[in-house]
Amino acid sequence: MRTTWKTKSAAALAATLAITAGVLTMPAPAAEPVTITIWTFGDVIQRNLVAEYKALHPEVSLSIKKSDLDPLNGTNMVTACTSKVGPDIVAVEVSYSGYWRSYPKCFQDLRQMKTSDANVAAGVEAGLSATDIKKNYLGWRWEHGVAYDDSVIGIPTDVGGLEVAYRVDLFKKAGLPTDRVAVGKLWPTWDAFIATGQKYLAKLSPADKKAGKGFIDNAGTIYAAIMNQGTEKYYKNDGTDTGKLIYDTNPQVKKAWDTTIKATDAGIGTRIGQYTSDWNIGMNKGTFATILAPAWMMDYIKAQAPDTSGKWDIAKLPVGGGNQGGTQLTIPSYAKNKQAAYDFLTWYLAPEQELKVFKTYGLFPAASVTYSDPALLNFKDPFFNNAPVGQIYASGVSQLKPIFEGKLQRAIDQAIGAGLGRVAAKKMDAKKSWAQVLTDLKKVVNN
Amino acid sequence: MTQLQDVKGGTRAPLTPWKKKKKKEEVFPGVRSLNGRWGHLFVAPFMIMFLIFGLAPVIYSVYISFFRWDPLGGSEFSGLRNFSLLLADSDFWLAIRNTFSIWALSTFPQMLMAIGLAVILRNTRLKGKSFWRTILLVPNITSVIAITIVFGQLFGRDFGIINGILDFFGLNRHIDFIEGVIPSHIAIATMITWRWVGYNTLIFLASMLAIPDELFESASVDGATKWQQFRFVTLPQLKNTITFVLIVGTIGGLQVFAEPQQLAADGGSSKQFLTLTLFLYNQAFVNNKYGYAAAIGIMITFIVLIISTINFFITRKISNDGTR
Repeated sequence: MRTTWKTKSAAALAATLAITAGVLTMPAPAAEPVTITIWTFGDVIQRNLVAEYKALHPEVSLSIKKSDLDPLNGTNMVTACTSKVGPDIVAVEVSYSGYWRSYPKCFQDLRQMKTSDANVAAGVEAGLSATDIKKNYLGWRWEHGVAYDDSVIGIPTDVGGLEVAYRVDLFKKAGLPTDRVAVGKLWPTWDAFIATGQKYLAKLSPADKKAGKGFIDNAGTIYAAIMNQGTEKYYKNDGTDTGKLIYDTNPQVKKAWDTTIKATDAGIGTRIGQYTSDWNIGMNKGTFATILAPAWMMDYIKAQAPDTSGKWDIAKLPVGGGNQGGTQLTIPSYAKNKQAAYDFLTWYLAPEQELKVFKTYGLFPAASVTYSDPALLNFKDPFFNNAPVGQIYASGVSQLKPIFEGKLQRAIDQAIGAGLGRVAAKKMDAKKSWAQVLTDLKKVVNN
Repeated sequence: MTQLQDVKGGTRAPLTPWKKKKKKEEVFPGVRSLNGRWGHLFVAPFMIMFLIFGLAPVIYSVYISFFRWDPLGGSEFSGLRNFSLLLADSDFWLAIRNTFSIWALSTFPQMLMAIGLAVILRNTRLKGKSFWRTILLVPNITSVIAITIVFGQLFGRDFGIINGILDFFGLNRHIDFIEGVIPSHIAIATMITWRWVGYNTLIFLASMLAIPDELFESASVDGATKWQQFRFVTLPQLKNTITFVLIVGTIGGLQVFAEPQQLAADGGSSKQFLTLTLFLYNQAFVNNKYGYAAAIGIMITFIVLIISTINFFITRKISNDGTR
């Protein structure tokens, strides 16, 4: 209301001035200058879009501070919430959503915010609360930004998705089908995936075997993929705020653990850790033929292994549907410029903008209304053998269900990951390692 | 007359400077109590910063170590529970083992290398002395993260240079520098050594240059070889410096954090390179057990106190030996 009045009077004044001066150009409406501080990591906030927003709103300056994910979502946010001093917007990655949804007091409930008319020209209606825009986004992905008291604390930027990136040339060499649909049909189940891996291994030359080549980069990645295909992880929604811990009884955990151990024992993985120098080199050398790849990893592969362009393709994940990663933007309860932050956020996360980000940077939109958009459906990536990546990832992420997340989820994931690592490194057998996981987790829960 | 005048002058002479001196000393004339405290003002900037950022957090962490502490939620008093849990926690003892193993693997080779390098740099015939001395400090000002990334590539299991070299010589072992206990400790110790060896070299060099030339001259007159001069002149003169380097190295060794954290944030799949500080950090900022982490911090303090006491007695013994 106030802004409208101000804008109108400013415009009237400007018009009068323009007429008086005999000049037809109109100066921009005199809005209050505001600085929005954003804490983020990686490529969540894209420079080009920031420049676009600045062109729309000369009065807004965006101060962007990038940190590594763990210090950002861990120490920095805890400190900010305790001292009630901090930024206007924080990016929260999904691995931390279980923790932060336990502390709604640290965030502004976005159901209570309303968009102003600042971005009407840019396609964002005035008067929209988070409840009004919810329908634009993937249901299960939206839940990552909903706190246990049902307040909406974050709006999703992107969804990781998870499909199988595979090397067409290596599949051909091993006598496997190369067409992406046929490849997808090779593994309706995870067991079939492991069997395919064994077939691939059987075709490797002794020299290749000696050089440590394998079917998948790291068999340990199968665990998280299976966990996300279920409906429950480590917590059961028993109606309480915190949920009930079920990591030791949930059959999904057992299934994911056993299948990963089976893949490890079958030797289909190279045991190379992701994001290590060995991984980057192996990607170039064809040390592994498949990677379970979220959409955002496509850009990483392009950057690390530019010479393998056209040799990759994308097939669907065993069983179907997967996710790894994704981020939501939140407005902390202690933010100073909530309205300006909310206006930026609703513009930045509007379907149009998420689609732009996907086309330039490969972050897959969490705004599911874009999944029927021809621009997304017809999007093909030449690096990945012209695979219709938009279509593939859209159908994959649409298959997942919401999962109740809890405070200790990340610590539990870490302990189980270490357990799988011990088995892969042949330090312990699977049974002993699982017993160790349970001992470690008991400490995490009780101490 | 002359004698009297002399006496007069003699009695007067000390009077005038004494009066002048007193005037000079009085910073706040008339306010006697302030003058003696002038120095306190000079140390104030440090003391204030230390009280706020040093002492206060220490006291506060002692306080929270008696709680199950959640900075964002409720906290409950738990007495000595954190400490009894900690002493029963196998990870704690594992972290102590790892910390001391990495410390030993980095401190002793480092000391030998530093003394060796200092002997080379001391050589009067060496050309470009200041150049060598300067580049020795470069590793010390390099970011730990950058060092870890580079060394991570050297130590890669499949495509690392070190395993590549071993491969070249037919030792097709593919050592896993992350999963193995001793290999991972060696990898971390190497990073620490690389970073600190130059710094310690300069300290040894400085104290070597302070050894009077006469000692070497008389030794060579007595027919001592270069080695004997080093063994019986240089080394004994370096005793205090060696102790100093050892103490500083121990303090640093107990704080090893960034190198293992960058190698694997959880300290390895069987916590094979989980150090004490990394253990503390993970309890606080991954598992959100702040009270427990504070208890670890206090235990680290106790360990440092014990080591400092041992160091103190050793130093005292050495300096007593020196005066004898």
